[in-house]
Amino acid sequence: MLPPLRQILTIGKWEVRRSATIMPREILPVAVALFILLIVVTGYTQESGIHLQDRMYTAGVDSADTGAIILGDPRFTVYSGAPVVTDLTIAPPDVRSADTDRGGAALKAFQTDYIRYLTAQYNREDDLFAAYPLWIDIRYVRSELDFTATEAGTGVSGAPNPYVNPVPDRPVRAVDDPSPNIGYTKEELRAELVVSEGEDSTVARYTDVVAGEGALGDFKTPSQLTPPLPFDAIVLVFVFIFPLYFTSQFYMMSVMNERIERKGEILLSSPLRPSAIVIGKMLPYLVVMIAVTAILSLTTGETVVVLVSVFPVILFFLAAALLIGMAARSFKELSFISIFFSTVATSYLFFPSIFANIHVISLISPLTLIIYAIEGTPFTLADYFYSTFLFWVTAAILFAICIINFNEERLFTLHPLQEKVREYIGSAISEKHPFGSLFGITLFSIPFVLMAQLMLLVLLFNLPMPFSLVVLIFAAAFIEEWAKSVGIYALSVERPAFLTWRNVIFASLAVMAGFFLGEKLLLFATLAQISESIFGAALFSSLQVLWLPLTLHFTGAFITISLLKIFGKRVYPLALVAASIVHGTYNLYFITGGF
Amino acid sequence: MSLRHIYVITKKELRSINAEKTIILAILLQLFIAMFSSFLIVGLAAMYDPDTLSEYSRQQYPVGYTGSPSPLEELLRESGDFVVYRMDLATAVTALEERKLSAVIWVPDTATDADDPVKITLYTIKNDIQSSVVNSKLKDVFVTYEETLRDIRGDRISSDPIVVNLPPEVPGTNFYEFVYGLLIPLLIFMPAIISAALIIDMITEEFQHDTIETLISTPITFAEMIWGKVAACFVIVPIQAAVWIGLMMVNGIHVAGVVPILLHVSVASLLMILLSAFVALHYRERTSAQFIFSTALVVVLIGILSLPANPANLIVLLSVGAAGSGHWIVLVVMAGVLAVGMTALNRYMHVVERTALQ
Repeated sequence: MLPPLRQILTIGKWEVRRSATIMPREILPVAVALFILLIVVTGYTQESGIHLQDRMYTAGVDSADTGAIILGDPRFTVYSGAPVVTDLTIAPPDVRSADTDRGGAALKAFQTDYIRYLTAQYNREDDLFAAYPLWIDIRYVRSELDFTATEAGTGVSGAPNPYVNPVPDRPVRAVDDPSPNIGYTKEELRAELVVSEGEDSTVARYTDVVAGEGALGDFKTPSQLTPPLPFDAIVLVFVFIFPLYFTSQFYMMSVMNERIERKGEILLSSPLRPSAIVIGKMLPYLVVMIAVTAILSLTTGETVVVLVSVFPVILFFLAAALLIGMAARSFKELSFISIFFSTVATSYLFFPSIFANIHVISLISPLTLIIYAIEGTPFTLADYFYSTFLFWVTAAILFAICIINFNEERLFTLHPLQEKVREYIGSAISEKHPFGSLFGITLFSIPFVLMAQLMLLVLLFNLPMPFSLVVLIFAAAFIEEWAKSVGIYALSVERPAFLTWRNVIFASLAVMAGFFLGEKLLLFATLAQISESIFGAALFSSLQVLWLPLTLHFTGAFITISLLKIFGKRVYPLALVAASIVHGTYNLYFITGGF
Repeated sequence: MSLRHIYVITKKELRSINAEKTIILAILLQLFIAMFSSFLIVGLAAMYDPDTLSEYSRQQYPVGYTGSPSPLEELLRESGDFVVYRMDLATAVTALEERKLSAVIWVPDTATDADDPVKITLYTIKNDIQSSVVNSKLKDVFVTYEETLRDIRGDRISSDPIVVNLPPEVPGTNFYEFVYGLLIPLLIFMPAIISAALIIDMITEEFQHDTIETLISTPITFAEMIWGKVAACFVIVPIQAAVWIGLMMVNGIHVAGVVPILLHVSVASLLMILLSAFVALHYRERTSAQFIFSTALVVVLIGILSLPANPANLIVLLSVGAAGSGHWIVLVVMAGVLAVGMTALNRYMHVVERTALQ
């Protein structure tokens, strides 16, 4: 028998050869042609713009001169002089809008056009400093809030006392007086103003990520002082995550292909280990993904940081692709589960990173590290650990589950998705040590519970406070109860006789211990910061007093399992809801310190 | 070709979509994307438009004023949004780092009517959401001050722009363009894209699972089977689009021209489904077909959006009630293209049947 590494390499070679033969020869030229077309079309679109909102509004003008104000705006259809009913009537110095939503929106569109028109006039003024007498030089200062600060109200909120000047706690650092001179000639400034005419400042910022600042840097006239949207992350998602998703699709399909018509039977009956098959098949795609990421990172620089940040994400995508490829019953199911998974995963990656530099929550996404690297903000090894930990752990667990289940029985039977999940979990329960297995399953479910809860936290972060907290508490409780009881549910479906009252109690105890230990471990490992805030309290309220959370975890699991025992497996969803209500109410009580 | 046979296949495919819950995932997906995009646009825009957040607009922000005295200091106080402290620069910047101030302004002693411009230095916290709110309020004050200075230097300005008195903004119009100009076309075309991907899965599955021979050994012909699948993918499109429009209406968003919108979407989606059926029949293998289809889809979507009067633009115009009767002509032309496409696909099916299945 070959040593493991050789096995992996052999399978990897097969996979490359297989995908080279299965793909029709004509695919490559078509793909190249499409890629060239894509570049052409994108170029053309940048030239002509997106025509989505063309001719939304109508406007009546009194003369051609007035019409010139909105001539360049494709949203308006302009009528001159004719007595038609329009959304907007412009007869300087008066503007009237129709009394409809569309009229109001047309007026808003006109306002921006009018300002643009004025700007164009002033930009060509001989005495530029009479037209633009005021310039703002923006200097950025670094300051980061942590969770405790927002919660304690040490932010800028709270009514400031107008009679007493604020006094800094730290020693005052000397700051040089800025120069009163502008430092650029009139023509340099004019050139920059004319360039920025008609260019949307939020759009300009997208391009800044790669292209760097404009010639004048942070030097602006007051009307250019629009706050920048923190949208750098969107660009990063598209640049780095999209190709990963695309490539992982091929792995998913390759795994699925082994299951069609039992083609993979030969492979399984060979002396190769399942782990070698799984990893060997993955290897070519892993190499491609790393190569693509490395090439893309050349556009931003910082190749090393990008690679180490994206690598755990690559593993996570591949692990998920493997699981989906192994579990999907049909191509349709494969498509939809994978699209759904990638949408959720992408938003998990993207969402926190829009808060980069603002809030520590942004660090749960590895993309934030890339933003930091591009901006030149330093980050520590602990930050890296913090943001990638969950990706490493969840990827490892998913791989482990898939390798254990990579056998004929799982691969070649077609069961509905819920049942598949139950089977996969059931496979992790040993006959002899059911309670030990339950303990283990619950322990290893913690990273997934955390990912789901952090997703919730991120989604609910900006809702009004009491509402978001209540929703978060109950949703988080539901996820925890689900994770705690899923093992027992799987067991009870496979062996209904297992659920004696004695076993119900022992199972609840095992789950309680597993969940508690896992929560503790993970918390001390990574999430100390989050746990200090009120949101953290909602998620991990259990750490303050020892016996209370133990009782809580026991009670939750006990409620679900008892209901399962009494009413059968069909009441499982209802049992979960009941347990989460108890769990959530307890947390709410604990956080608010009584009602 | 027997309609009854097509109907049998359609019913079978719809039943399997229902049994696998794929349709539920598809709808969840659309909902998620819609929620996410509206959070991005509405949520983030609201953060930058302080008036939409009543909580913020009542608040006063502490601002450090440093450097020489100027009319700006008075303007800041008058605006009511700021508490202004006279400070020295170093203390103020340190206080800003500790967030005891929201911004620091340094003003030079340049005269208001000097030849040179007045260059103000604004210290702010980088990439911060709250300082973005503060900056957008400061911007208003700066613009007022700019106008004051421009008046003082007015005799040096030669151009004479048309003066328009802008009436006050109509409240509640901020997201009109987002809802009608982005969300509605997005929600209406998403079912079409999903169905187009679905037909590839349905067709390639028969080839890769070798079930196709069993199927055509029944009285149902190859062409009838493909048409049945096309029909199954097609019928769910207008239903989903209608549900989205219905939900919009329930939420108080009036959508005009519902019937023409549904007609346009039906024609466009059937065209897309035909295209991906071509791709699927050509490759008969999912990986290749989906890869080519999704790449082509991106090219086509970007290409179409860059053309004036494209179908998505038409949907926008119809939904705001600004489309003339010209869209009927577009519909007729599209239906003509569709008829040609259907004939071509039908012919291609027979080619595939002769070459691939014998």
